[in-house]
This record gives sequence, structure tokens and C-alpha cells, in this order.
Amino acid sequence: MEEKPKKILYNRQASAHYYRMGISWATPTIAPGQFVMVRVTDGLDPLLRRPFGIYNILGPKGKSRGTGIELLYKVVGKGTRILSTRKPGDDIDVIGPLGDGFPYPSGFRKVIMVAGGMGLVPLYLMAKELHGATLLFGARAREETVFIKDFRKFMRNVKVATEDGSYGRKGLVTELLEEEISSGSVIYACGPIGMLKQASAIARRADVKCFVSLERSMACGIGVCLGCAVKSRPHKGSGSGVYRMVCSDGPVFDSADIDWDSFNL
Amino acid sequence: MNKGVKKTSRLAVEIAGIRFKNPVLTASGTFGYGSEYAPYTDLGRLGGIVVKGLSLEPRAGNPGPRTVETPSGMLNAIGLQNVGVESFIKEKMPFLRRLKTNVIANIFGETVEDYKEVARRLDGVAGLTALEINISCPNVKKGGIAFGVVPTEAHRVVSAVKSSVGLPVITKLSPNVTDIRVMVKAVEEAGTDAVSLINTITGMAVDVEKRRALLATKTGGLSGPAIRPIAVRMVWEAAQVATRPIIGIGGIMTAKDALEFIIAGASAVQIGTANFVDPDSAVKAVDGIEEYLKRHRTSVKDLIGSLKA
Ligand SMILES: Cc1cc2nc3c(=O)[nH]c(=O)nc-3n(C[C@H](O)[C@H](O)[C@H](O)COP(=O)(O)OP(=O)(O)OC[C@H]3O[C@@H](n4cnc5c(N)ncnc54)[C@H](O)[C@@H]3O)c2cc1C
Ligand SMILES: Cc1cc2nc3c(=O)[nH]c(=O)nc-3n(C[C@H](O)[C@H](O)[C@H](O)COP(=O)(O)O)c2cc1C
Ligand code: FES
Repeated sequence: MEEKPKKILYNRQASAHYYRMGISWATPTIAPGQFVMVRVTDGLDPLLRRPFGIYNILGPKGKSRGTGIELLYKVVGKGTRILSTRKPGDDIDVIGPLGDGFPYPSGFRKVIMVAGGMGLVPLYLMAKELHGATLLFGARAREETVFIKDFRKFMRNVKVATEDGSYGRKGLVTELLEEEISSGSVIYACGPIGMLKQASAIARRADVKCFVSLERSMACGIGVCLGCAVKSRPHKGSGSGVYRMVCSDGPVFDSADIDWDSFNL
Repeated sequence: MNKGVKKTSRLAVEIAGIRFKNPVLTASGTFGYGSEYAPYTDLGRLGGIVVKGLSLEPRAGNPGPRTVETPSGMLNAIGLQNVGVESFIKEKMPFLRRLKTNVIANIFGETVEDYKEVARRLDGVAGLTALEINISCPNVKKGGIAFGVVPTEAHRVVSAVKSSVGLPVITKLSPNVTDIRVMVKAVEEAGTDAVSLINTITGMAVDVEKRRALLATKTGGLSGPAIRPIAVRMVWEAAQVATRPIIGIGGIMTAKDALEFIIAGASAVQIGTANFVDPDSAVKAVDGIEEYLKRHRTSVKDLIGSLKA
């Protein structure tokens, strides 16, 4: 169905492999943690759309409806490489906003956000609303920390760990989480599955609520192909867990509902 | 006389006694139960919707990863996850029956009895136009070999279903066979009212860094433009022997792709993977076919199997 074409406003390289793309779009209401499916090319290679988190809403401050969105992406393969060559002014085919976002925290003493790599993306809109939150960010090296300055503009508690020690503390973000976690906290986490599994285990030991935003490869993004399945933990009464779709049942899940042993890491 | 061909009749076709206002349907497993695509396309403009494969009981499906992209295509191993026939009737049909399009239920089972029972439950459900039997499913009583690759087994399933329902029956053929013509003859003899082809082609992809198959089940079904030439060839071969209408499926992205199938012998087509790429593909294909028909002063009916020598 025809709607006004969405256009690329800017597509700027932030550091070697990282880009910011602005897209003009009279957006519907967007909840923090939602994502879009982008068709990077009209051709057949790559064929499928690529999922990207909605990083920011462009337009007047404090409005959930905007005049556009901002994506942050890392070039990892063919699709993102093509995306990085797209020019301002071009039409871009975007479907969204998709999925359910993060539930708004209420009644928690402390909000801890845990991000690994591009896992920062779905946390930004939430962080903007919750100035008192703590952000723990993990990356491999300094190059991956380019976007952390966006968060530092309004957050006082930002801690970074890099695996090679080139920025912040040398180590893993989950080590920072062990130090920060306290009873009555709530965790919002996004990043590689291994990191999320760790974060979930730490949260469980501390008896703390933890919400995770998951990534799976997606063909449709709207719950019809049933491709992006993750296994939920068996519930009382039912023998085994059921499959849930990351795109339409998530991408945000309560970490206690996920069968973390089902991932082949 | 071509001037007399009205806009609607130019596109319309009849298959298994059913009138389709245009020859473009959406393929099973790629269009959910219709409602998911309502925000993105005009469902009423489709020739028909074939819903996700239904079994007697709900099925959980396979572990992930279930899909992987390959050159101009994708592999899937969903494991036929579905809500089961009863939930489909209760929860999905109320939406579907209101649409101005034909609704076709795709069914499968692990035994002949399963197929028969699913079909029986769907027979007479208001708003349902036809059944499409997916015979690419493993036969548990025959060591898991798909019904669709053994002519005698395909015959058994189709005649069992056909004898227990009044609804028109379309049999969806597997391409994983040596000679598709043998299968066409077998299911026609069993009484199918039409055939649709092709289902996905078995394939595999490997992550060389991890030395692991990219799908959890290792092998899966290939779909998308990568399979189109194989599908067109099989439809053409099927058309050489078929006495009933053929519905062509496999890698259709555009009107031009759909027309290839029709000229090769299909009376209609189904669009699958393309829905993921562009949810409006099927409707765009209808528009494109109409434009072609006007330009060539012809109709779909006249175009079917019109491949020149
Ligand atoms: C809900 C969701 C939100 C996402 N948000 C963002 C985002 O905001 N910014 C961003 O940069 N990326 C995000 N991603 C990941 C992004 O979709 C992939 O990086 C992208 O699809 C890769 O496409 P490609 O063609 O460049 O790479 P491909 O050629 O498809 O793959 C290249 C390599 O990247 C790996 N890869 C592909 N997809 C993923 C994935 N989903 N997760 C991890 N590794 C992957 C492949 O295994 C392969 O090794 C998100 C993914 C999901 C599911
Ligand atoms: C994710 C996915 C799920 C599918 N599920 C079914 C199904 O449940 N039953 C069925 O008969 N075919 C199923 N198919 C096969 C398609 O209906 C179609 O035959 C095949 O994908 C080839 O067409 P395409 O290249 O246009 O996708 C599925 C295909 C895909 C990609
Ligand atoms: S990507 Fe198709 S169901 Fe989630």
C-alpha cells in the first residue's frame, strides 16, 4: 500500500565500521526497544530485509511521534555494506515500528542498562527517559565505543569495559554488572547471546528482574515465517518450553522466561 | 473480440470449480493467517490466500536457527509449527472469512489417517474455499520418507482426503523427485482437482568458520528466486501430462516472473518468499499482469500454456 516514501536524511560514518543513518518518516508512536526491517537494495542480493533497532526519534523533543528516526549500524556483511553506500535524498524502504519495546520500570530502586556492542541501540530512547539510570557498556575495543558519548550527554553513571583495555576498564561488561547489581534493581540488557546469558544468570542469583532484547536472523520481521524462534523455559505444568518469535513476541523478553541452555553458543 | 474482454474477466481464472478474480495467490507458510499482512497490503485484491500448514494438533516446530539467507533465496526448517486445526477454525477463520478473496487451507499429517482427519474437520467450515494437501511431509509409518516422493504413498494420501471431503482438493507437489510427471499422474488418478508446485527444494549451508550447519536441523527447504528456473521447468513438465489445472510456485517476485509460469502451463501462481521482501508483491504482480494483458490484448485464460514451439 502506498504511503509517503521515506527518505535518507543522512548516512554518516562515525568510525571505521560504524554509521548513523537518519530517515525522514512521519513516524507512528514508537516505544523504546522497537525495531524496523530495512530493504537495503531493490536487487536480489541480499534478498531479505535487515532488522535494525530504532536508536532515536528525530523531531521536536519529548514527542513519541517524530519526523524521522535515526539508526546506528555496524558494517558486518553484504547488506550493511550496501546500506553504508546509500545516499542522502534516496528513498528507503522501511517497515515498522515492529515488536514490543521495554516495559517501563516502576517500583525499582535502581535501573541498570547493560549493553554489548550494538546492543546500545535499543536502550537509547529508554535512557533518555530515565536520567538516573546506570549504563554498563562492553565492547571489544575503543573503535566500538563511538556512540557512548551520546549517552554521556545526559547520564552520569556510564561505565565501560573493553576486552583489550583500550577504553575504560579491561574486561567484560558482566563483571561491571556483578559490582553494580543490588537488590531492588531492574536490568535492561541487549548484546550478544553469551553476554545476555551471563547477565541473566547474575540477575537470577541476585533475585533481580532482568529484561533482555534478543537478536535472531529474521526473514519477515512480523511473525509469519516463524523463523526467529527462541525457546522459552518450561513452565510449571507444561513438559517442555514453547517457541516464541523474537520479532512478534519480543524482541524484549523477561530473561526468566528464556531457556538459555537452548542456544548453541 | 478481444475488446469485449472485461477488466475483471481478463484476469479471472477457474480452478477446481472455484473462480479466482485474478491468478495471484499467496503461498502457505509465507503469509501467516492473512491478518499479519493487513497493515501492509490490500488483502481483498489477492486472488487467494493459502494459510500456514495445519495439522491435527498444534506443533511446536524445530529448534533455531530455522532460517538462513542464501544467494537469491533462503533455507527454512520451521518444522511446520502451527496452531492446529481447531484453533485455526476458532481463532483465524473469523478474520479470513470476511475477506473478499479465496481462502485455502494447507494441510499435512504424519500418517494417512492424520491427513484424513484434518481434512474432515475443515470440510464445511464457512468461508473456506479449498484444501491444499502438502505431501512433502515425512511419513512416520514409512521411516520418515516424504509422502510426496513415493507415487503410491502420494496416491494413498490424496484418495483418502478426497474421499472424506466435499471441498475441492489441490495437491501440492514436492520437487524432490526424479520425475514430476509420475507424481502428477499419481495424484490425478487419486482424484485431485488441481496440483500446485513446487514446494521447497532440500538444501544445506555450512558456516565454514564454525564448521557447523547454519540450520539447527542441518538441512532445510530452499525458496526464493534461486529456485525459479527449476520451478518453471517442473511446471512445464507437469503441464505435458496434466489433465487438471496447475498452480505454479517458486521464486516469483514480479508480474513477469508470474507470467513465465502461466505461459509454461500454470493457471495461477502463488507468491511465497517475496512477501517477506515486499509485503505488497502479490498485489503489484496483479497490477503488472493486468498491464501485460492489456498490452498484449489477451486474457490469463488464453495465456495459460501458450508457450510457442
Ligand atoms: C531485532 C534486531 C535489531 C538489530 N539492531 C541492530 C542495530 O541497531 N544496529 C546494527 O548494526 N545491527 C543490528 N542488528 C543486527 C543486524 O540486523 C545485522 O548485523 C545485519 O542483518 C547483518 O546484515 P549483513 O547483510 O550486513 O550481514 P550478513 O552478510 O547477513 O552477515 C554477516 C555476518 O554478520 C552476522 N550476523 C548477521 N545477522 C546478525 C545478527 N542479527 N546478530 C548478530 N550477528 C549477525 C552473520 O552471522 C555473519 O557472520 C539487529 C538485529 C536484530 C534481530
Ligand atoms: C518460511 C516458509 C514456510 C513455509 N511453510 C510451508 C507450509 O507450512 N506448507 C507448505 O505447503 N509450504 C510451505 N512453504 C513453501 C512455500 O509455500 C512455497 O512452496 C515455497 O517457498 C516456494 O515458493 P517461493 O520461492 O515463492 O517462496 C514454506 C516456505 C517458507 C519460505
Ligand atoms: S522473522 Fe519471521 S517470524 Fe520472526
